[in-house]
This record gives sequence, C-alpha cells and structure tokens, in this order.
Amino acid sequence: MDYEQSPDRVVGTAAVGSGGHPKKAPVPVKIIVAGGFGVGKTTTVGAISEISPLTTEAEMTSASVGIDNPGQATMKTTTTIAMDFGVLTIDQTLKLYIFGTPGQSRFAFMWDDLIKGALGALVVVDTNRIDDCYPAVDYFERAGLPFVVGVNTFNGQMSYSLDEVRWALAIREDVPVLSFDARFRGSVRDALLVVLDQALDKAIRQKSSYS
Amino acid sequence: MTYPDPDDPAHPARPSVRPFLQSGPLPAGGYRPAPADEQPPAAEQSSALRPFVITSGRTNGADPDIGMETQVTVTPGAGPVRLSPEMRAIVGLCFEPVSVAEISARLRLHLGVTRILVGDLRAAGQLDVHVLDNETPDPETIMRVIRGLRAIT
Repeated sequence: MDYEQSPDRVVGTAAVGSGGHPKKAPVPVKIIVAGGFGVGKTTTVGAISEISPLTTEAEMTSASVGIDNPGQATMKTTTTIAMDFGVLTIDQTLKLYIFGTPGQSRFAFMWDDLIKGALGALVVVDTNRIDDCYPAVDYFERAGLPFVVGVNTFNGQMSYSLDEVRWALAIREDVPVLSFDARFRGSVRDALLVVLDQALDKAIRQKSSYS
Repeated sequence: MTYPDPDDPAHPARPSVRPFLQSGPLPAGGYRPAPADEQPPAAEQSSALRPFVITSGRTNGADPDIGMETQVTVTPGAGPVRLSPEMRAIVGLCFEPVSVAEISARLRLHLGVTRILVGDLRAAGQLDVHVLDNETPDPETIMRVIRGLRAIT
C-alpha cells in the first residue's frame, strides 16, 4: 500500500488546515454511579447523558486473597468488565462525565483509577437487595470520596423506608440517603445535585484547610 | 496433549474480537484496516493475539496521568509518521477534543490498550493529552457544574 499517500493523512491535514488549531479542550469532571448488578446504573447514566451511553471495556486485575484458591496466598485474576458512561456538556469549557461501574468488591483495583479526580459518587440501591451496595459504600467511605445513597424506586415502590436503608447501611449521619427514579431525567438530576452539594462541601473544607 | 495452533489458517479469527474492523461507519480519518503486508505475521493470522500485539506486549504501564475522562486532541502541525492502524484510528478521532473513554468505546479497543496507545502517540508528538494542573476539583468548578445541572430540564 502506498502508505505515504494514504487518505488518512490527507484528511487529517485538511481538517487542521480548514479548522485551524483543534478547539481548546474542555475541563472534564466526573461523577461515579455505582451499585450492584441490575439496580439501574445504566438507566441512571442514560437519563442524564446527552448521548446514548457508551460502553468501554476494561481489563481489571485484582488480587484475590484465598477466595478462589484457598491453597494459594494470593492470586491475580484478570476480568473484563464493561463500564457504561455518558456525557453532559455544561458549557464549552466544562464537560461532566458520568461513569456507571459494577459494585463488586473484587474490582477495587479499577476503582482506584476511576475515582481519581472524581467529584463524588451516587450509590444506587435496590431495596430488595440492599447488601449488593455494601462494597461500594465501604470503598467510598475508605477512599474519602463524597457519596450519596440513592434508592431507585423503580415503580414508586420501596420495600423499606429510607431510614431503614440508612440503618441497614450504617453510614455516617452526613451521608444523604434519598430516593429517586432512574428513568426520569429530573429525578436523576436532583440526585446528582445532592452528590455535587457533598462534593462542594468537601472542596470548600479542603480549600480552607490549605489556606 | 495438543492445542490448536493459533497461527493455523484453518482456524479463522473469531468474528467478535475486533468488530470495528467489520462493520459500522468509518470514523473521521477514514480508518481502514491496513493490508496484510504491513502487519506483523502474528497479527495477520491470529486476532486472538491482537491486544498484546497492538501494545507490543504491554498490558500495564499506562501513564497514570491519562484517565478515562482525560481530553485528547491532535497536536497541531504534527509531522506525518508511520502509525499502526489502531493509532491512526485514534488520531482520526481527535480533531475535536475527545476523552480517552470515548476513544475506547468508539473504536472498541480495551480501555487499557487505549490508554497505552494514547500515551505512545503523545510521546510521538502526535497527540496533546490535556492533563489537569489541579487534580482535586475546586469549588468554583463544582459550582459551575451545579449551575449547569440546575439549568437542564
């Protein structure tokens, strides 16, 4: 193939030539949506995103200690997980990314990459399977990431009250527990605004402690 | 005990391995798979090896600065260089600012592979990777996100 004359470069040159320099890159910020399987993470992401949720596959390595193979001290396992994410353009210089991530504890390795620089997290809970979200709550508590527990009410139904959910999760008083409906944009927006309030509190506390 | 030879042409590549080669609209830059004579023999015959071949065997070592949401653009005035098909496809997506996660999703490349290749392209002077100066979000930025979210209906 006459690689030097391949159309790619020509297209590339034309794009740069006509458009000048590429547009200034916006600042990306991100919020994590975490929870067990089937609690409505993808629905949540899709409700708020301006694009259909995209999926990226990540190879995750995690050290499982004596779980899969009790005979061995540690064993590294590699798993491919799919992460759905969406985007919301705040303005030309600011983009909000929403990453939906599986909540199982064995993916803790990925979460370290994922939460770096994250504003906060929404932990989605199905009251029929509250314990599915324990690993996510544990992780965000330990990592010091602001988070909010959002009970997805599906059809307006909850098996337990928010107080009962709070009791079951044994989370700190200042962690908000709210109910929302993952199918509705306004409801997801309000839940994310509570996450952002938490993020703002933390950012202000940090800033004042530095200065 | 015998294993099927991965290089044996009698075992065709699984169709699921690199779907972006087979269908879907071409991304900007008109990416097409390169003819076989440009590829190393292993890549040519066994797509099961691809992820490792693409990254020259590296499975980790991606630059920690390159996050999933990190924005990437083509370097203005970058000189023409020989690039692998995957790298050309990545460059072809970056005329507008785009995140690493979007590159991974649109090209159906694993996130880890994408991060490594983006790092390579940055080192080769083809891509600008916009690493944030301040990793912890500042209150002003968060306020802007809050105002932006409140504005949507």
